[in-house]
Amino acid sequence: MKLRYKLSLFNVLSKFLFGAVFVLLMPAILERINTLQTDNELINKRERVIDLIERWGVAFFMEDVENDAYGSYNILREEYISLERVELEEHWNFIEVTRRNIEDEIIDYRVLNYTFLIDGEMYLLEIGKSLSSIHKTEKNITRLMWLFLLVFVLASSVTDISFATFLIRPLERINQKLKKTSTPAQFDTALVLTSTTEFIQLDQTLSELMQKINDLFRKEKETTSNISHELLTPISVLRGKLENLMIQKDLSNESLQKTEEALKTLHRLKTMVNSLLMIARVESHQYLKEETFFADELVKEVLEELSPMAEDKNITFQSHFDLKIKFEHANRALLFNMFYNIVNNAIKYTQRKGVISLATFRQNNYSVLKISDNGPGMNEIQLQNLFTRFKNTTKHKNSGTGIGLAISKTIADFHGIQIRVKSTEGKGTEFFFHIPS
Amino acid sequence: MNILIVEDEEQLAGEMAGYLHKENFLCEIASTGNEASEKIAVNRYDFILLDLGLPDYEGLDLLKEALHSDYQPGIIIITARGALEDKIKGLDLGADDYLAKPFSLAELLSRIFAVARRKFNTHSDAINAGEFLVNIQSRKILHKTKEVELTRKEFDLLTYLLLNKNKTLTRIQLYEHIWGNMLDDQYDSNFIDVHMKNLRRKLSVHASADWIKTIRGVGYQAVL
Repeated sequence: MKLRYKLSLFNVLSKFLFGAVFVLLMPAILERINTLQTDNELINKRERVIDLIERWGVAFFMEDVENDAYGSYNILREEYISLERVELEEHWNFIEVTRRNIEDEIIDYRVLNYTFLIDGEMYLLEIGKSLSSIHKTEKNITRLMWLFLLVFVLASSVTDISFATFLIRPLERINQKLKKTSTPAQFDTALVLTSTTEFIQLDQTLSELMQKINDLFRKEKETTSNISHELLTPISVLRGKLENLMIQKDLSNESLQKTEEALKTLHRLKTMVNSLLMIARVESHQYLKEETFFADELVKEVLEELSPMAEDKNITFQSHFDLKIKFEHANRALLFNMFYNIVNNAIKYTQRKGVISLATFRQNNYSVLKISDNGPGMNEIQLQNLFTRFKNTTKHKNSGTGIGLAISKTIADFHGIQIRVKSTEGKGTEFFFHIPS
Repeated sequence: MNILIVEDEEQLAGEMAGYLHKENFLCEIASTGNEASEKIAVNRYDFILLDLGLPDYEGLDLLKEALHSDYQPGIIIITARGALEDKIKGLDLGADDYLAKPFSLAELLSRIFAVARRKFNTHSDAINAGEFLVNIQSRKILHKTKEVELTRKEFDLLTYLLLNKNKTLTRIQLYEHIWGNMLDDQYDSNFIDVHMKNLRRKLSVHASADWIKTIRGVGYQAVL
């Protein structure tokens, strides 16, 4: 999930949550406020009624009335005031909620009870306000609040997403910069425009890191270059001397053979130095990966190159390139070398009249190139050490130091290609190249 | 032909000069960049074999000096740095060829001939080999008037032997010549034998090819 959506989602959810809690608490708060206000009104009315009684005397209210009681309702029975003579030990002054049956209608009232003495007589004043009128306003307000909350959350989610997008944009730019960088030297050191401190720091740190890696690569490049010069020059001298020795006219065949053997050994030394240098160079990313080409075409070239050797051993190639695999951002010469090594090995170890099959297909989101032979196969130990440098566990007379496969592995790693090997002794060996698409 | 060998490793320069001298080239050696720079400015050379890894001089600068000389020599870069960029830069600047150390002297010779053919149009007449006539430039081999079909590698092997006629070429030298520096420490001597076998078979359909001698345990030789 993208960061901006996470941020906005969190914002919206938290806003909604707080809003909902508020709206749910609303009735209680409103009731409390209402009650307080109603009570104030009741007390106010009480003062005014007492005022009137003091001005006109209690008899003014009582004279038309039997039973020493006076009552007054407004038409809709939302309010009433009653006054009656009572005999009570104590003085009343409180507000309560009571249920009254008025003309067969049951209505809840908030009622103020107040007693007072006039001429030794005790009177009780009741002022009531119906609760339904209070609840109605509460309900309306709550409904409005829910609606408002919904609109607010929806609207704010839109603004939240756009703000988060704006806020995160520098981070995405930095991300894109990294994606475009396949070697540290390619990293764009121009800082992304932003006022967010963390992003500026991230960008700067990345730039510095890339610079450091780049410097290390450069140093390593120089070192490898120097080492190769130091090692290869003496080999050159020896080689020149031996070749000059060989063309001397009076050389006996025995001396000639010995010289040739020395040259062979020198060749091995040279190949080893070059192989190690190549591995070091590939591992320190000194090769470019800028070519685009098709796997089957490359492999066909390898087969063509090796076909005389195969023909000589009556080995046949069977190709089934059902899937067109494209290498992008790859190094053609290196991959040629890799496939050459594998096919070359297959030819070397497969008996006469053997078959080497090549196929491309799709498997679990990978493009796979398979090279298999029906040669002698390998045992568990041989398989484990297959790609280890200078560890050749086969007892084949032509086997060298086994660095060819180590190089192949390094080249594969360099290109993000996985090599899997299956082998059965006496049956053959299968190499699977899992090529990322 | 006049050849200047620019190489700080004096032993190697000596071996190169010795080998080329036997092929009737006149060789001079410059073992420092300054010395080379002076020689390039004062003398005229047909060829400059230039080691890029000189301690006192930037090799590519020396290459530029050689390229800007008014006599336009053939230039073959020699380097042990092996760096791909060096090679590309050198060839981009205008060098004619490139050899990585440790190279074979026979290979060096064949490169010099190849550059000379390209650059100076030395119409070396077709080479007679037994009853065959080999034209390196047009890459054709004729028996009387009939063309013999050879693969590219077989033809390369044949011309390499002919250029180094009467000299034994080891399998490794032949292998390197046609495969370049393929990193294969198991360089199968079989590879060369297979190609030589095919070459002989194709030639002997037309006429005897016994001028290609096998030197037992060593390699091959064109005896002419």
